[in-house]
Amino acid sequence: MLIPMAKLQIAGRREELSAVLEGIYRLQGMQLVDVARDPALDVDAAGLNDANSLTQARLELLVARLDALLALVGSDDRGDSRLHGDPDPVSGAVDLADVEAELDRISILVQEAAQHLDSLTDELAVLPRYLHPLEQLARLVPELAALPEYELQKLGLDTAALVLNTSDDTLVDTLRRELTEVFGVRFDLTSARVGTDAIGCLLVFSHSDSARLHALLGQEHVRHLPLPSAYSGQSLFGALAGMRTRLDALPRELADAHQVLEELIGPHVEAWHVTLAGARAELEQLAAAAGAGVTDRAFAVVGWVPRPHVARFHEALAALSMGPLAIEELPHDERAHSTPVLMKERRVARPFGLLTRFLDNPRAASLDPTGLMALFLPLMFGVMVGDVVYGTALLLVGLWARRKFGRISPGIADLCSVLVFGAIWAIIFGFLFGEALGNLGKNLFGDFSLWFYRGDANALQPLLLFALAIGAAHVLLGVVLGMWQSWRDRAHRHLLDRVGTFAFLCGMLGLAGFAAGALPPGFMSPAIALTVVGLVLVMSLHGTLGLIMAPLELLGAIGNILSYLRLAAVGLASVYLAIVANELATVGPLWLGIIVATFFHVLNLALAGFSPMIQALRLHYVEFFSKFFIGGGQAFIPFGKSHS
Amino acid sequence: MDIGIGLIAIGAALAVGISALATGLAQARIGAAAMGAIAEKPELAGRAILLVAIPETLVILGFAVAAMAILLLPA
Repeated sequence: MLIPMAKLQIAGRREELSAVLEGIYRLQGMQLVDVARDPALDVDAAGLNDANSLTQARLELLVARLDALLALVGSDDRGDSRLHGDPDPVSGAVDLADVEAELDRISILVQEAAQHLDSLTDELAVLPRYLHPLEQLARLVPELAALPEYELQKLGLDTAALVLNTSDDTLVDTLRRELTEVFGVRFDLTSARVGTDAIGCLLVFSHSDSARLHALLGQEHVRHLPLPSAYSGQSLFGALAGMRTRLDALPRELADAHQVLEELIGPHVEAWHVTLAGARAELEQLAAAAGAGVTDRAFAVVGWVPRPHVARFHEALAALSMGPLAIEELPHDERAHSTPVLMKERRVARPFGLLTRFLDNPRAASLDPTGLMALFLPLMFGVMVGDVVYGTALLLVGLWARRKFGRISPGIADLCSVLVFGAIWAIIFGFLFGEALGNLGKNLFGDFSLWFYRGDANALQPLLLFALAIGAAHVLLGVVLGMWQSWRDRAHRHLLDRVGTFAFLCGMLGLAGFAAGALPPGFMSPAIALTVVGLVLVMSLHGTLGLIMAPLELLGAIGNILSYLRLAAVGLASVYLAIVANELATVGPLWLGIIVATFFHVLNLALAGFSPMIQALRLHYVEFFSKFFIGGGQAFIPFGKSHS
Repeated sequence: MDIGIGLIAIGAALAVGISALATGLAQARIGAAAMGAIAEKPELAGRAILLVAIPETLVILGFAVAAMAILLLPA
């Protein structure tokens, strides 16, 4: 059900605009309208003066700085143990000068600590990337690895690590040949694969040849793997040992750096959250003040209030004891897309509102299908699953998940509730179809079906007819709702189109019933008449193109009904998978049979919890909603609600 | 067994099998495009599911044909 909206205008003395906006912000019951963007309002918007623009800029900077500082210690608005209750967002104006001075003082220290933390984090990420290839290269020259640093320096040897981005081993030979031409035998080159498309090479050479060798490598475009600056000048093996020592020490240093940051920021977290909420509230109120209408002496604030709450809103505003205010309701087009939408359902149907909004918000003053969805979606889910044991298992899973994860977000709680409703219908249809773990219940306790067992060879026909009956009822209900919606919108062409579709579908269903022998011959003439009248009516609405468009549209409506055969198809797939699981269990020894049957039943249960829900949802979105649903509504978001 | 019965059964299997393949092909393309759209605009998730689900009608119609064919089989 959509709550009707009232468009209210609140007028008062201009100097009281800020106080009134703060009051509305506190009440969280009105969605404000920017008068400059509403062509129906003939009043000038206040806009922002220079002082307010400056305040806005300072507040935005303050919010950005506080967000950045709080992010450094991972503190958000929720779930931080350092916060005690929600801050009052309108507890008073933020003293910008004080807060800015405090932030300037702390920011210098925080910046240093944060930079230190960043450099340590980078080092921890970068060092292993050097260490791994260098360790592989070091194994190529173990005799050098055994030498201590000072011995290498005494020998006058240098090392260079190279990476050839190729898988062609002949390149190493080419490099060796070129080096031999220049340096003769005064070098040693060893190589090894360090990746799928990379060959690592280690060059050991005389310190006196270092400059010439690096120049030659540069000419040949060979990539030299430079060591981090802290290790340049050291030998390869000295650098490797240094890196390992550094990697061991880094976690401790990181923890210390975090501790320093926490000591700097931690004591201010609660106060800063209060300031942040206040700054955001002030920013919102500044924007709202800019969007209010003003004259030299008066202001006018325009906004939407749910009609049932108008009286309460009047009383609450009066209780804030501000100056005299004139509140009047403005005329508006209820069906306009700019009118905000507030959905309110009965408690049972409330979880299904999420599924309606998942597609789109209904347009204001249109039909909200949530209540009907609460009735049909679990029923269709139950038809498809239709198993006492699976239904009970899904019921328990749904209840457990709602209890365990429902607190994380209302959306998860709603989805769990939808599963619970579906599971209840699955148990009901489980008794109607006489299924418990497929045919296991029937084998153990005999046929306990109240209607028919879906696994029987002759069950296909009644199951198909049942699915089609649900489809026909659902689609025809959608068409009737579409007729009602068109009538309310005074959309006469749409109304006639729906009437034609309804007549055609009724006629076709009558003909099908007659062909199946379910209706007496006397029904044939009215059925043919309805079909022809419906077809001609829809054709006439489309003009010349109607000759092609109308039959296509009406065939689409028949396709919509046939689409409900998936209720039978998915249900049959589920029951036959369960039967297969039971049959496989009897093939081998008992213990193996139990394992195999459990595996297949768990698989079937997982499919039963997912696929039927998607199919039922699709039947609603595509087949049902397309007959009447008008989307594009804007959700009602009261001023001040974003921080509550 | 009458060869006609076998041919009817094969026809029913082909009706479901080929329409399932066609649905799979269509859903693969629509699904890839839908995921791209959702990555850009997560609020389109509901409509994306709707679009991905549309070709399923093909396999349901295949199932209807197969069911009719099986109903022709002698009990």
